[in-house]
Amino acid sequence: MQAFDILYYDGKTSVSHQASLVLERDHWLIQFDQEFEKQTVRWDITQVERDMSFTSLFIFRYGDFPRETLECKDENLLTELKRLYPEKAFFEKKFNALLRQNTTVLVGLTLGLIGILLVSYFYVLPWFSEKAAEQIPVKTEIALGETMFENMISHYQKNDSLTARVNDFVKEIDFKTNYPIKVTVVREDDMNAFALPGGNIIVFDKILGKMKSADELAALLAHEVSHVHYRHSLKNIFRSLSGYLIISLLFNDINGITAILADNSNMLLNLNYSRKLETEADEKAVEILKANGLNLNGLVQLFTLLGSEASKAATIKLLSTHPLTTERIAYAKKVSSQQNAPVKNENIEKKWRAIEAERIK
Amino acid sequence: MEINHSDTRQVSFHGEGSKLFGIYIVNLLLMLFTFGLYYPWAKAAVLRYIYQETEFEGSRFAFHGTGKEMFKGFIKAVGIFLVIYAILILAVWSQNNVILSLGMLTFYAAILLLIPVAIHGALKYRMSRTSWRGIHFGYRGELKEFVQEFVIGGLLTIATLGIYSFWFTVKLRKYIFGHLRFGNIGFAYNGDGTEYFKLHVKGYFLSLITLGVYFFWYVKDLFAFFIDNLEMNQEGNVLKFRSTATAGGYFKLIAGNLLIIIFTLGLAAPWATVRTINFIFSNIVIEGALDTDKIQQTEMDYRDATGEDISDMIDIGLI
Repeated sequence: MQAFDILYYDGKTSVSHQASLVLERDHWLIQFDQEFEKQTVRWDITQVERDMSFTSLFIFRYGDFPRETLECKDENLLTELKRLYPEKAFFEKKFNALLRQNTTVLVGLTLGLIGILLVSYFYVLPWFSEKAAEQIPVKTEIALGETMFENMISHYQKNDSLTARVNDFVKEIDFKTNYPIKVTVVREDDMNAFALPGGNIIVFDKILGKMKSADELAALLAHEVSHVHYRHSLKNIFRSLSGYLIISLLFNDINGITAILADNSNMLLNLNYSRKLETEADEKAVEILKANGLNLNGLVQLFTLLGSEASKAATIKLLSTHPLTTERIAYAKKVSSQQNAPVKNENIEKKWRAIEAERIK
Repeated sequence: MEINHSDTRQVSFHGEGSKLFGIYIVNLLLMLFTFGLYYPWAKAAVLRYIYQETEFEGSRFAFHGTGKEMFKGFIKAVGIFLVIYAILILAVWSQNNVILSLGMLTFYAAILLLIPVAIHGALKYRMSRTSWRGIHFGYRGELKEFVQEFVIGGLLTIATLGIYSFWFTVKLRKYIFGHLRFGNIGFAYNGDGTEYFKLHVKGYFLSLITLGVYFFWYVKDLFAFFIDNLEMNQEGNVLKFRSTATAGGYFKLIAGNLLIIIFTLGLAAPWATVRTINFIFSNIVIEGALDTDKIQQTEMDYRDATGEDISDMIDIGLI
């Protein structure tokens, strides 16, 4: 019988014994010298367990707590074990088998993993968050939007008279949606307007002040209503959350820096996503305007207005969430040229004049 | 028989970034395919690898925890969090201000209680599952005592707007190390809260004045405060821990890790982890006479990993 050089620990003290190991059919024999006497320890094969090992050291443990331990560096032990006890599976765990592959396999696995993550980030996730957003009942969405609105509006100064006039204007147009549309005009020195889930739309008075026609205002509102109608805010929230989850998994949180990195990369990708949503909203807005007999030139005017403002502050708005305005102007011009100029709707024009009169004050 | 008479010792780490990377990748894949349920096994694999590559006096450490044990803990921890969050959500749903504030209060009280319970459980589990030459570590702290200490300290910290936190941290360290065992070897932490407070004040203001340059001296001092106040006691023989970390060393570690992580978009994180562990162990020296053959097994077995898993969920960083 072949004997292997091992180190043996009895589990009672930290003394390390230089010992020899002999493998028998149903037990192992460990022999060492202690205080000039030969000691023999017998391990019953059924109670021997191997530690899951990532190094070249083989470690075996025996019995109940506190367990006896033996360590062996001899590679031949493994072959001998396989030959002697082919039925006992304590030698290769599946995990180890995966790890013991060569570098090519590991590189392949890594690339595969990155591939899976990218595919799920760009395709599976948007689809999934969209489906999830669709599952939220309209009632819950409206309640959620109300809460968001309450939180947000406290940061702004409301313009009550303009708000009332614009809401009168809204009543003249059929926006082709079931959501209750409620516009709030706030005093803010910025060209912007945005939609919250459930029907609240916030318009900054600066953009209102620069508008030249009823068609232009209708275009803006139609665009924002489309965001509401397609639940874009809700979808964005779902996507941000799940995107953050995947990215933090990929970066396996080592410290704050990766968290910041992960956060920003997610924002960049969201930008891409929101361009798609903006385009969708633009298309729906055209539909609404057409159905209400409004002039699509309003859309051209609106985008030109936004474009002039964006170029003024190009550096700040570099990462603005709206798609490139030139592309949008081109799109608006195209659809507008295909339309025969409609007759002006007197009711809408009247409401618009009321707004014009109010904003001069 | 080997008796080592050398009077300074060090723990050394032999891990490699590439091996750790392999483990991480396999872990990630398996977690992905099991929707995260593989997490406890993933964690066990990483801990096993790190312990196996850690050497003291020619022998490696071992981690005995298994994915199965930690999975059971994981399920219990998930259950506990579900209950706590259910209370909060129900309170919010009720739209009744009295119920809402009661719910919030229960929620925060539960979290405050859960932190010490998690630390206690994690220490008991992790220490019991750590061994060297077949001798297991152990944590003998009492749950009731520890929770009391924690709640009192936590409330005092809130009441003093955080100022007490320095004394609190030192107190916790004293308690934890005072109850830590490695067979018949005991540990002690001798830090002083006032000194710790001064260290933070000095570090904070000098970092501000020097526009952050002093930060590396600041972290070096904090590390030294932790290590230099640590001692080990083998039957009356006292061994002292000493930090040899320098500000320059910290600069190299932090700057290097930053570059590694940023330029690989986080993929090389395992190499950064290996660098950090190497840095920590290579900068701790243990001084004093130690008989490495006379360490007796004294601790009991402990298999409940719930604390370990809760502390993962609330992100308490135990090594």
